Amino acid sequence: METAKKDVLLLALYAGEILLKNGAETYRVEDTITRLCKAKGFNDTNVFVTATGIFVSIDKDINHNQVISYIKRINSRGINLNKISKVNNFSREFVKGHISIADGMDMLRKINEISIYPHYIYAFFGGISTSFFALLFGGNMLEFGSAFITGILVTYVLNFLTNIQFPPFLTNICGGMIAGIMAIIFSSLHPSVQIDKVIIGSIMTMVPGVAITNAVHDSINGDLVSGWAKATEALIVACSIAFGVGFILKLWTIFF
Amino acid sequence: MVYLIDFIYAYMCTIGFAVLFYAPKDSILKTGFSGAVGWTVYTMMNNFSDSVVISAFFASFIIALLGEFFVLSKKHPITVYIIPAIIPLVPGFGLYYTMLSVLEKNYELALQYGSESLLIAIAIAGALTIVLSLNSYRKEKKKSLF
Repeated sequence: METAKKDVLLLALYAGEILLKNGAETYRVEDTITRLCKAKGFNDTNVFVTATGIFVSIDKDINHNQVISYIKRINSRGINLNKISKVNNFSREFVKGHISIADGMDMLRKINEISIYPHYIYAFFGGISTSFFALLFGGNMLEFGSAFITGILVTYVLNFLTNIQFPPFLTNICGGMIAGIMAIIFSSLHPSVQIDKVIIGSIMTMVPGVAITNAVHDSINGDLVSGWAKATEALIVACSIAFGVGFILKLWTIFF
Repeated sequence: MVYLIDFIYAYMCTIGFAVLFYAPKDSILKTGFSGAVGWTVYTMMNNFSDSVVISAFFASFIIALLGEFFVLSKKHPITVYIIPAIIPLVPGFGLYYTMLSVLEKNYELALQYGSESLLIAIAIAGALTIVLSLNSYRKEKKKSLF
């Protein structure tokens, strides 16, 4: 009996961890964990999720007096919509009750290991989004081309650095510096290329904008702690990008 | 005609970001569509009013409605359709410019960019929350009635 309780808790926690690490909203994580525990008969489930950790305690009912709790620290956060969708579908299936706990754990592990797009396609679409962003904000065709090349380079390097688990702050500084260097090179090749237009898209790939919107979204939903945590993260990311780009632009104006 | 070009640009941009966020393959074209519609609404509203915040509000309102419509097929949660679609509206560049102005000691400009970014973020998140919570309220009512 006791092991079953622990297994259910670990399964729910693992599902929550995958969701939180891949950018799901706080209420979705809490909701999923509660549903998974209730599906196995633990009606007194309390979940508290912030952007940096998950706290769960479960029990059969409120008078049973055999509460067990678990804390999970979350260190890295990115966005992977495919995993969110897969875990969501998994929890919908699991609640129906015909999946055993061991099978469920295996399914979650498989979900966590999927990667749907290879590196070069990822980098290519990074170029597409960056270059069309330049057009969206009134760039010309030369800026389109230079943003495309910059975008591919920045996305590839960021992806590489994230995979070898380089510190996130330094990763974003590197991204900003590469965007700055490329923008300066292209703008000195042809006078109609503006530095801002080349940089604008590459910055969006480092997503401070989505982070700040999610932060406000969480705060409106009443998850105030994780709202502030995400807002801080967005500010730090924006700061590191500005640091990288600003450093390069400053060097350029000093020496030339 | 101008709107059509904008529509195509925003479509491609949203698709690119959908891949960057590892969106599931069968959702990419749909989220591209709602992103493009959102951006077109945004540029149209910008012609009528001088406030980017209101335009962002209406655009994300439409995006959330389209998301709720796509969710009816029950394949993916609504996050998958919304996150890439709001990318063209989201104040990432404003936030970057705020920090850059701070680093350059131009505090007046930093305040201007910072407050605008925050207001746009509040407008987008507010519009999304209104649609999502009204819809879940409606579903709950339905469940309790029958």
